[in-house]
Amino acid sequence: MITLTNLGKVFRTELIETHALRDVNLQVNEGEFAALTGPSGSGKSTLLNILGTLESFDSGDYQLDGKSVKGLSDAALSKLRNEKIGFIFQSFNLIKDFSIYDNIELPLRYRGLKAAERKQRIERALELVGLHARRDYLPGQLSGGQQQRVAIARAIAGEPRILLADEPTGNLDSLMARQVMELLEQINRQGCTILMVTHDPDQARRAGRNIQIIDGQLHDSTMYDPLAQHTA
Amino acid sequence: MEQLFYYLKVSWFSVKRAPLPYMLTVLILSLGLGVFFSNATFYYRINSDPLPAKSDKLFFPMMLLVPYQCSNCKPPSVLSYSNVAKLNASDIPSAKAAMYSAGGYLRLNAEQAPTPVTVRITQRDFFSMFDVPLLHGSIWPDNQPRDELLLSKATAEKLFGRTDVTGQQVLLDDRLFTIIGVLDQWQMLPKLYDAFNRNYLNPTEDIYLPLESGYDYNYLSNTNSSTFEDADYRKLATDGRTKAIHQLQYWVQLDTPAQQQAYRQFMANLVADEKAAGRHPSAEANQLVMMRDIVSYFDGESGDIKAFAIVTLLFLLVCVFNASHLSLNRYLSNQYEFSLRRALGANRSQLQVQLLVDMGLMSTFTLAGAAIIAYGGIKLMNYLWPSNSLFASWDLQLMLALAALTLLCSYLVTLYPSLRASFGSLNKQLKE
Amino acid sequence: MPLHLLFKSLLRRKMVTALLLIQLAMTFALLLNSMLLAQQTRQKLQQPTGLPLQQTLQVQLKPTSIALRQYPALGDLLVRQLEAVRAIPGVVAVAYSNQSPLHEGGSNGNIHDPDREELSKANGVPLYNVSTDFFAVLQLPLLAGELPQSEIAIDGIAPSPVVITQSLANKVFDGEPAIGRQLNRGPVAAVVADFYGQRKRNEIEINFNSVQVAPLWNADWGYVLLIRTTADTVETVRQALPQVLQQVDSNIEIFSVRTLQEQLQRLYSNEFGLASLLSLLSVLMLLVSMISSYSNAYFHTLKHQQEIGIKRALGASKRRIFTELLSENWLSTVLGAIAGVGCAVVLNQLLSQVISIPPLSWWLPLATCAILLLCVTVATWYPAAIATRVSPATATKTL
Repeated sequence: MITLTNLGKVFRTELIETHALRDVNLQVNEGEFAALTGPSGSGKSTLLNILGTLESFDSGDYQLDGKSVKGLSDAALSKLRNEKIGFIFQSFNLIKDFSIYDNIELPLRYRGLKAAERKQRIERALELVGLHARRDYLPGQLSGGQQQRVAIARAIAGEPRILLADEPTGNLDSLMARQVMELLEQINRQGCTILMVTHDPDQARRAGRNIQIIDGQLHDSTMYDPLAQHTA
Repeated sequence: MEQLFYYLKVSWFSVKRAPLPYMLTVLILSLGLGVFFSNATFYYRINSDPLPAKSDKLFFPMMLLVPYQCSNCKPPSVLSYSNVAKLNASDIPSAKAAMYSAGGYLRLNAEQAPTPVTVRITQRDFFSMFDVPLLHGSIWPDNQPRDELLLSKATAEKLFGRTDVTGQQVLLDDRLFTIIGVLDQWQMLPKLYDAFNRNYLNPTEDIYLPLESGYDYNYLSNTNSSTFEDADYRKLATDGRTKAIHQLQYWVQLDTPAQQQAYRQFMANLVADEKAAGRHPSAEANQLVMMRDIVSYFDGESGDIKAFAIVTLLFLLVCVFNASHLSLNRYLSNQYEFSLRRALGANRSQLQVQLLVDMGLMSTFTLAGAAIIAYGGIKLMNYLWPSNSLFASWDLQLMLALAALTLLCSYLVTLYPSLRASFGSLNKQLKE
Repeated sequence: MPLHLLFKSLLRRKMVTALLLIQLAMTFALLLNSMLLAQQTRQKLQQPTGLPLQQTLQVQLKPTSIALRQYPALGDLLVRQLEAVRAIPGVVAVAYSNQSPLHEGGSNGNIHDPDREELSKANGVPLYNVSTDFFAVLQLPLLAGELPQSEIAIDGIAPSPVVITQSLANKVFDGEPAIGRQLNRGPVAAVVADFYGQRKRNEIEINFNSVQVAPLWNADWGYVLLIRTTADTVETVRQALPQVLQQVDSNIEIFSVRTLQEQLQRLYSNEFGLASLLSLLSVLMLLVSMISSYSNAYFHTLKHQQEIGIKRALGASKRRIFTELLSENWLSTVLGAIAGVGCAVVLNQLLSQVISIPPLSWWLPLATCAILLLCVTVATWYPAAIATRVSPATATKTL
């Protein structure tokens, strides 16, 4: 699903070059639920941005679904993001003047889907996150957990192949965090690949795979057996 | 004082942080005010009262005393010599003078090239009625014909190179006249005694000649004359005095309402007598127009200036809206700084003073810009409408009005957006 | 972006949007009315005058000595002047006249049929007192009768025959043949085609003219020489005229030497001035609107970087972000224009109380709207381009 080969990213200022990522090699398979962990400033956000094609990289290659994203035009990248990738952000990033419905609809509009199909997909996504009754609310009228569920609905309404989540529970209390995690696991079970940045070792353990990044390099990549975790 | 400098410094820093939006705000406000003000200058000057103490005491009487029959007619806007003579019989007015203007050629001697001059042909009360200042010499002792004239100061200087020229002789249209007086600097603006056909926009005349001499020497009016019966206008001395050749303006001074009422009655009686004598075929249509109202009576108001006044006011509004829009954006992006200052312990009144200083600074820049643009605008309007060029000057009152208007606009543009940006809900408390 | 979301985006900045709309509406109103006025002035300057405007020069002059202003010295002066001017190379024909056509005010009088005075009376008709070549200089087509061939005194025993224009003949004689009929000023000798005499409020009366071929008795108000030249000698003749006339007799003051085209322009110089000023003001107003659209879009971009980033992350291409911003401004422009039509009508009525201005036509609002849209698009272009440069990675940064 995702293949990174010798990927590198350098931030340059006038005086210094900082290697944000160096020779990163990574393979993520379809249907995986992988957690990306590491200390602050280690490069995990940069990596996630590159995976989401939000940022470019300087060396190496990135293949998404078997195709290299290198050299794609802005329009092609936008299309790729829109169709194959769903995003969930730590601060939800809902557009505050749009209703819940309008927020979820936005990427579907960008894709150019017909109104009936959009409606159907939005209903389904709202059903899944359990916020059907709140479709006409504004984001500010919802709790943090609800907002994040809206963001998840927006991310999955387009039926992406891969879901990128940047500390999705970082701004939530533990109860809400658990609900969100359960939702992500449910989505993963339905076949969507998920890559999640997290600080929480507990959450990392719940993911099927834990990728650690320190100082711009992937250090370890351990497969956990979720069943083993439950018995532990 | 030191505190004021500090506030100015803070204002200046905030300007320097985002110079473009600030400059645009000042530019737009200056444009609006400058354009508005250049037209307002003309509007104000043209509609100003040249004799505020007297403009409600001087009157122009008009009667439909003509040999033709006409119903619902306005009386002619100029009078015949014989009608003036009839009106002159009344001693109700404190002063009275008939007048008209003509063109002539002036020179010192037959060898010199003639200088074209404008001539006001009038009677002695003209000078007291319109507060004409005399620099040298005297005016005519009575209204008899005499070869004596008065010069404007500029004409004396142009012809002789000096002003004290009483007793000197000049050739006016090849006839010898003695100068008996020289006027001091005088420009009645607008020239309301000569309002018909927008002549009030023109400068006052160069030469002043007795009315009777003007008729004797056959000076024809160069502005407005009408003949209502078979008469030869080339024979002013004879036909001009007896027949219906109308070319005279006539002003009377009526100081009290009682005098005015008495004069109206006198005019009515005069018309009744003329009717009885069979010389007044039309119905009475007497008019006694106050000098203050004479321009509108003759329908001579400057429509262009008025139209442009409407439009420039609109433009000013747009500019104020626009500038406040710009400055609202500017302050909204500075919101953080205000919060920070409050967090650092600046109290509300200190911030208020700061905002007032901001406003003062903006007013200063805007005033300078507006003055420059207004100056340019006046030049342009003089070029396009040369007939109004006498009315292009500024006086203290106008300057103060501009300053006040600038302050008001700066207030609208600065204070509201800044209050909104910095205090939000505290707005109300501040206003108390 | 769908319309209702665009509206929402406008509505959330109520104050700023209201200010923008008000000024757009006012700009629209002014633009519309100044276009209207400019159009009207253009029409006035291009109206048919019946006169050879380009090739006719008109000299306004006055003798400076009393003797020269009276007959017979005046008659002698005129003969000498006409002769000298005729000798200038390029001059086709020359005539004197007591007053010029294309003028406001002058020597006027009533023209009527003495038998039916009340019905036939035309008031304030310009009375021209000219030399025989007047008709040749102005190339006035003869419609009926014969042009007088010699100067006959106006107040002589047998009055000088009168030449009138067609409009005046129709007015006085109600469409009946005019030749040989009597007017209060003399018998009608000929009817010539209409030409623009004096500026009047009434469009038809502009063409009322009465001409008599007669000697000038006096020139206390000055007089004019009308000179038609060949097409390529207008300027050289104009240059030569003052000197030639001074040589004939230096006791004259020349007020002006103009082509009739220039005379027409002077006649409408006030209108032209107002139309120019309004056009200038419209340009300034457009400029101000552009600044406003620019700053609006610019600050909008600055303030909504994250939102733009989110949209980019969700798959909006640069082009889409660009058009979204532009269409937001287009929407406000169109809204402003709709409100502007109302403002324009009000302004039109206000203006029509002080000057003459035609009512609004249907296509002008559309043209004005197009101009406004164009300006707004140009002004929004740069901020919108900046907005497309917002990185989609902005979305992942937490504030």
